[in-house]
Amino acid sequence: MILTLICWVALIAFIGLSVKKFMAYGSMPQHGRQDLYPIPLESDEKMHYGGSYMEEDKWYEKERHHNLKGEIVDMLVEMLFIKKLFVNQNNFWWLSYSLHLGMYVAIAWSFLMVFGAFLPGILGTICVFLGTVCGIAAGVLMTVGCIGLLFKRLFVKEFKNYTTPQEYFNLFALMAVSVSGLLVWLGDMQFEFGRNIARAMFTFQPLSNFYADGVPVMLTVFIVLLAFISIYIPLTKLSHYVGKYYTFHKVVWDNEPNLPGSKVEANILAAQAKPKDPNALKWGAPHWNETAPAKEEQK
Amino acid sequence: MNGKDLRPRDISIMGDQLTQLTVADLKPLPAPFDKPEMEPGIKMGKPEWAEKYNAHLDGFIAIDNFKRPQTKEEEDELVQKFLLGVEKMLSLDTNAGILQALNLSMEYCAKCNTCSNACHIFEATGRHELYRPTYRAEVLRMIVKKYFDKNGKLIPGGKKGVMVKFVGGDIDLNWQTVARLGEAAYRCNLCRRCAQTCPLALDNGLIAREIRKIFSQELGYAPIPLHEKGTQLQLKTGSSTGMSKVPFLDTVEFLDEDATDLFGEGVTEYKTPMDVEGADILLLHNAGEFNAWPENPMAFTMLFQEAGLSWTLSSEICGYDNVNYGLWYDDAQARKVAVKQNEVAKKLGVKRIVIAECGHAHKAAAIFADRLYPGKDRVPVQSFLPLMRDLVLSGTYDIDPSRNDFPVVLHDPCNYVRQMGIVKPQRDILKYIMKPGHYGNMGLPYYEMKEHGVNNYCCGGGSGFAIMNSMNFPAFRDNVAHRKKLSQILEAFGPELMENTDVPKYICAPCSNCKGAMRSIIEHYELDRFNVHYGGLVELICNGMTKYSTPFMEFLRDE
Repeated sequence: MILTLICWVALIAFIGLSVKKFMAYGSMPQHGRQDLYPIPLESDEKMHYGGSYMEEDKWYEKERHHNLKGEIVDMLVEMLFIKKLFVNQNNFWWLSYSLHLGMYVAIAWSFLMVFGAFLPGILGTICVFLGTVCGIAAGVLMTVGCIGLLFKRLFVKEFKNYTTPQEYFNLFALMAVSVSGLLVWLGDMQFEFGRNIARAMFTFQPLSNFYADGVPVMLTVFIVLLAFISIYIPLTKLSHYVGKYYTFHKVVWDNEPNLPGSKVEANILAAQAKPKDPNALKWGAPHWNETAPAKEEQK
Repeated sequence: MNGKDLRPRDISIMGDQLTQLTVADLKPLPAPFDKPEMEPGIKMGKPEWAEKYNAHLDGFIAIDNFKRPQTKEEEDELVQKFLLGVEKMLSLDTNAGILQALNLSMEYCAKCNTCSNACHIFEATGRHELYRPTYRAEVLRMIVKKYFDKNGKLIPGGKKGVMVKFVGGDIDLNWQTVARLGEAAYRCNLCRRCAQTCPLALDNGLIAREIRKIFSQELGYAPIPLHEKGTQLQLKTGSSTGMSKVPFLDTVEFLDEDATDLFGEGVTEYKTPMDVEGADILLLHNAGEFNAWPENPMAFTMLFQEAGLSWTLSSEICGYDNVNYGLWYDDAQARKVAVKQNEVAKKLGVKRIVIAECGHAHKAAAIFADRLYPGKDRVPVQSFLPLMRDLVLSGTYDIDPSRNDFPVVLHDPCNYVRQMGIVKPQRDILKYIMKPGHYGNMGLPYYEMKEHGVNNYCCGGGSGFAIMNSMNFPAFRDNVAHRKKLSQILEAFGPELMENTDVPKYICAPCSNCKGAMRSIIEHYELDRFNVHYGGLVELICNGMTKYSTPFMEFLRDE
C-alpha cells in the first residue's frame, strides 16, 4: 500500500504546490506596465507587425477589442512548440523541445494509462495501443533531451559557466525518471505497469495485488523517482509552467491602460486605501523622501 | 581576464580591473569601415582613476559620483548598504510596483542564452562574457540566493554550507563585487530586446534597472548626467538642460522669428502658443531639442499652426521638458517628474498631452506613469505620431514627394516601438512624403534596416548613454553600444551609396535620445565625410511641403 500512497501523495503535492505557487504570484500587487510588443491581444493586423492601440489618435476615446483568438493561438503555439526558442535559438530548441515534448507525451501517457485501466472494449484497447506508443516516445524523447542538455551544459563553456549544481541535478533527475521508466518497459512491453498503478490508485489497493511475485524492484525505483520529481518540480524553477503564464499574460502582454472606471484604476484605488505601515522599509538615499519643489525656483 | 573565460563569480576577484576590451575583440564593421585604419581606437581612462573611482570592471566609468572606499570600514559599509538595498528591492514595502515581474525574472531563468543572441552590446564585444545579458542578472541571483531567505529577508552573514553552493549561491561578496555590479548595470541599454526573444519572457533589462535603482535609491550613486545634472536639475530649474523659464521663452520667440523669416514667405507669421488654458493639446518637447536641434520644435510649430490645431506649450517647471531620466535609474525621480508633468497639464486644463519626438519621454509619460495614480487624475497621454499621420494622410499639408528625393533610413526608437507598439504611423508618413522609385529598399521609398519595427536594435544611446559624457564612458558608448546601429545604417545604405559623397544621406531618428546617439556616431566615425545627416521625422514633412520655397533641410539649401 505504501507505493499506492506515494503515488497519491505525489499527485496531490504536484497539483497542490503548483496551485500554491500560482496563487502566490497571482496575489502580488498590480505592477507598473512592462509592455513588450508584439502583443497578441491586439487586432490580427496589429499583432502581425507588433502594433498597439496607441497607434491611434485619441486612443483613450476609442473602444478596445481584446483579441482572444490571437491570445489563445499565440499561447498554444508557445506552450506546445516553444516557438520563441525555435525562432531565436534553433540549435538549442531541438534538445529542449525533445525534453519538453517528452514530458507532454508522458502526461498524455498517464491519462491513457488511467483510461486503459478502466475503459472496456475497443476504447480500452485503443488506449492500450496509444499508451504504448506514447510511453515509448516519452521515454526516448525525455532521455535524449536530458542527455543532450546535460552534455551541452557540461562541455559548452557559455552554458557551463552559468549552470549551477542544482540545474545539473534537475536534468539528471528527469533523466533518471525517463531511463527507469524505459527499463521497466523492457520487461513489460505494453506498459501494463502504468495501468496497474492507475488501478491501484483509483481502487485504493496495494500495487502488489497486481503482481503475483511482488512489485518488481525496477518498478519500485521508477515510482519513487517519479514521485520525487512530481513533488520537486513545483518547488523549483522547473515550475516555469506557472511562471510562464504570468510573465506573458500579466507582465509583457498586460497593456491595459489606466482609464477612469477601469479595473486598473480600481486596483490603484484599493492599494491607496490600504493603511500605511509606519514601520515599513524605506529607501535610504536622501533624495528618496524629497518632494518636487512646491513652488517655482526658476531663475 | 579573458572575455571568454569570465564566470559570474569572477566578479568578486579582488584586484584591479577585471577585464579590458580591445579593438581586436570588437565585431568587425561593414564597408567602408572594414579596413583597419577606419576603426577609431578605444580611449581608456587614466590609471590614477582606479584609486579614486570605480574603474575596476572594464576600465570604463559610468557612475561618476562613486568614490572608491578608502578604508576597510568604508568597504564593509558599502557591502552592507548594498545588501540593505537588495532587501528593499525584494520587499513589497519598497518595490511593490515591479515585484511580480522582478521575482519572475529572478526565479525562472533557464540559462538557455537565447537573450544573448538578441543583445547588440554582447554581439559588438565579440561575445565577451561580461556583456552577456545574463551576466549581471546571474551575479544578482547568486547574491540573493546566498544572502536572502525565500521571503526576501536578509540573512546576516549569508547562508553557509553545501546547499547554498548547490542552488547557485557560490559567490563572495566584497566591495569590488558591489562596485563592479553597479558599473555592469550601465553596460546595458535597457532596450529589452533580450526580453522580447526570451522563451519565458524574462527581462534582463528590468534586472539591470533594478541594480541601478539599488545604487541610486539606497547608496546614492548614479551618473551625474542622469541625476544631479538630470532629474535634480529638471525639478529645480524646469529642464534637465538647465534652461529656466525666461531663456526658454526667449528661445521659443527666437525660433518663431526664424520660422517666420525662413518659411513665412512674407505671408505667414509663426507663433508658438504658450500657456494657453483650455487648449486641446499640451505639446511636450524634449527641451534638449531647443538647444541642439531647434529645427525640430520649429517644424512642430509650423505643422500644428498650418493644421489649425488647438495647442500650447507650457512654461511651467517640467512643462516644457518631456524628459524623465528617472525612467533609467530611479523610481522616485521618475515619479516626481511624471507627477509634475501631469500637474502642469491639469492646471492648464488641456484635454491631452502629446509627446513630441522623444522616445523615452513617450514611455515615461504613457507607460511608466500610467499606473502611478488613479485614471481619473490623469490627463490622457498620446504620441505625436498618430496625430501627425492622420494630418499628413488626410491631405492637410500640400506635399510634393519629389522634394524628398534623397536616401532616408528609418531608425525605430525602442521606447515607443518595441515598448509601446507604435510602429506603423511613421511608416505611413514616410510612404506619403518620400519620392518613390529612386531610393529605398523592400519596395519602399525609404530604407528599412534589416531588423526593424519591434525587432529593431537600440541606437546605443538608450537608458542615458546618449547624454553620459563624463569620464571615459563615451568610449564604451561610441565603440561598443553604437556599433550595431552603425552597422545597420551602413548595411541599409550599402557601400556604393555610402561612398557616393555627392548624395546626402539622412538618418531619420524620431527621438531626441536617438538623435544624440546619431550625433555621436557621426562624430566618432566621421560619417560627415560620407555626406551623412540625421534628424527627425517632422523635418522631412516640412521639407516636402510645397508651401515653402526654401528647403527645410539645411543640407539641401544652396549656400
